[in-house]
Amino acid sequence: MTGEAVLECRDLSVGYDRPILEHVDFQIAPGEIVALLGGSGCGKSTLLRTIVGLLPPLAGEVRLFGQSMYALSPGQRRRLLGRTGTAFQQDALFGSMTIEDNVALPLRELTQLPHAVICEMVRMRLALVGLPGMERRMPAQMSGGQRKRAALARASILDPELMFCDEPSAGLDPVVAAGIDETILGFRKVLGASLVVVTHELESIRTIADRAIMFAHGQIRATGTIDELSASHDPEVFGFFHRVAESTASPTGAAVAAS
Amino acid sequence: MPSQAPAIERDGRSAVVRLRGDLLVPTAGELYARLRGVARQRGVKTVVLDFRDAGRIDSAGTAVVALLGRQLRRSGKQLDLRELHDQHRAAIELTPELASGVRPPDEVVGFVERFGAQVIETAGGIAAFGGLVAETLRQLAQVIARKKHIPAGALRHHLETMGVGAIFIVSLLAFLTGMTMAFQGAVQLQRFGAGVFVADMIGMSMVRELVPLMTAVIITGRTGAAIAAELGTMQVRSEIDALSTMGINPVRFLIVPRIVAITAIGPALTLIGIFIGIMGGMLVAQVTLDMPAVTFWSRVVDRVTLLDFAHGIGKSVVFAWIIGFTGSHLGLGAGGDAGSVGTATTRTVVLSVFFIILIDAVFATIATFTRHG
Repeated sequence: MTGEAVLECRDLSVGYDRPILEHVDFQIAPGEIVALLGGSGCGKSTLLRTIVGLLPPLAGEVRLFGQSMYALSPGQRRRLLGRTGTAFQQDALFGSMTIEDNVALPLRELTQLPHAVICEMVRMRLALVGLPGMERRMPAQMSGGQRKRAALARASILDPELMFCDEPSAGLDPVVAAGIDETILGFRKVLGASLVVVTHELESIRTIADRAIMFAHGQIRATGTIDELSASHDPEVFGFFHRVAESTASPTGAAVAAS
Repeated sequence: MPSQAPAIERDGRSAVVRLRGDLLVPTAGELYARLRGVARQRGVKTVVLDFRDAGRIDSAGTAVVALLGRQLRRSGKQLDLRELHDQHRAAIELTPELASGVRPPDEVVGFVERFGAQVIETAGGIAAFGGLVAETLRQLAQVIARKKHIPAGALRHHLETMGVGAIFIVSLLAFLTGMTMAFQGAVQLQRFGAGVFVADMIGMSMVRELVPLMTAVIITGRTGAAIAAELGTMQVRSEIDALSTMGINPVRFLIVPRIVAITAIGPALTLIGIFIGIMGGMLVAQVTLDMPAVTFWSRVVDRVTLLDFAHGIGKSVVFAWIIGFTGSHLGLGAGGDAGSVGTATTRTVVLSVFFIILIDAVFATIATFTRHG
């Protein structure tokens, strides 16, 4: 890792009434793309909610850009989160606003930029995510893949240093999912952002992730590159990759299962 | 294989139930009743289910066996399954509790625990409500001080949807209420030769009680429910989470415009309702009592003081806050499913009406004791 970690979880326990994940320790370096893996209900999304400030941890610490997030006042925490961007599993676009208004929202609320500049930034960002000319569309007039791209555009409009994506390509066909992967890689290339991606898609993980962290039985089960995890002799890790490979039924998935 | 009644035999402290025919949905209820009767017999320590002559078993049949096993264990008795065929065994294996014979621990929650949990939940709800009010006022102060701003066009949008759309229904109901009051009052007061006082009665009741209360109930149904439903749906769709993660304060973005709008709309609709209601009463007084409009109006103006107006309008502001904050609190607190939005909406209406009537009673009591009533 180079430079100070943009995100660090220290002995973190997350959950609602009782812990779902415990003793979670990991760091994300600047410019790194890390995938969070695990079976449904293993706590990945709950961990993400804690990391983005929506669910206080039961124990431990979340350090964002070197600052202990939950030790800050709500105002300070909001300013710190302004340096991040989050794309939710549901696109979370505001249905009553056009795509332009949705993407421009953080700029209008958090900056003093002139209207013309904001419009231009939105136009450019929509082009970057593959939605040129869609400014005046309403979310209901767009496909699932387009809405996901619009959500990514909104999450990235303030040029965040760290982005969180919860299942960005879930429920999309392979071609559209590949487009989302390209968009995510584009964020690192163009914006220099680090990314934390929650996903089940092996193909996506192979394409975008530098590293993966796998969760099982309420804790981190394995950490490493996808190749390292694929070759793991840990039955839990192998079983997870095998099952995922079966469900995706792609040649790459089969190769992973075989390895 | 058609279903038949099981044969039940006693063997010492055991009851042997020979199951016959299929154990399927149509007969599961009857079978359960019979087995429960056997399980409750005092001398029986073990119930043996003999599957030798049993036919097919489906989910309902398996559930009956599982339920029987749990009830027997709870009363310190045993269930013994014998002569299982492959299909029976396969069905039983789908029920881990039956297959292993290990009962998952029952969570016994007593009255004290339930009551305590309810108290804690209520206290948490009150604290969250207080927190929302405090945060709204803090954000509002920052907006007034021009340190922050509310979304462009949001206030106008809410004023239009909450206020303009409600003018007709409030006016209509106020007019009808004024007419009804005047009809009732005219008949009663005329008996004592005091028909002229119908103007005093209409003026006072409209300004101090009826219109503020009626308008608040209409706003609850129209606006309070809409606030809860809108915010609840946004919660379900993660839109509020998205605002938080963007560093945008959801209270300033969503709640402040709604509270400001409803604070303006409550008194405004009440004023309109008061005027229209008095007009309704005036019309009836003219028709039934031949009271000239000028006389009616001058009596109203003489009788109703500025303090009465302050009482009515002051209440309408408090009612508006009750509706706005209740809808916002319950909408923001909606869970992640559509049902919770419906619950939030219903609770908003019920709680708002309850607190409106409660606060109205408090106002009336204070006014009486301070000799303004």
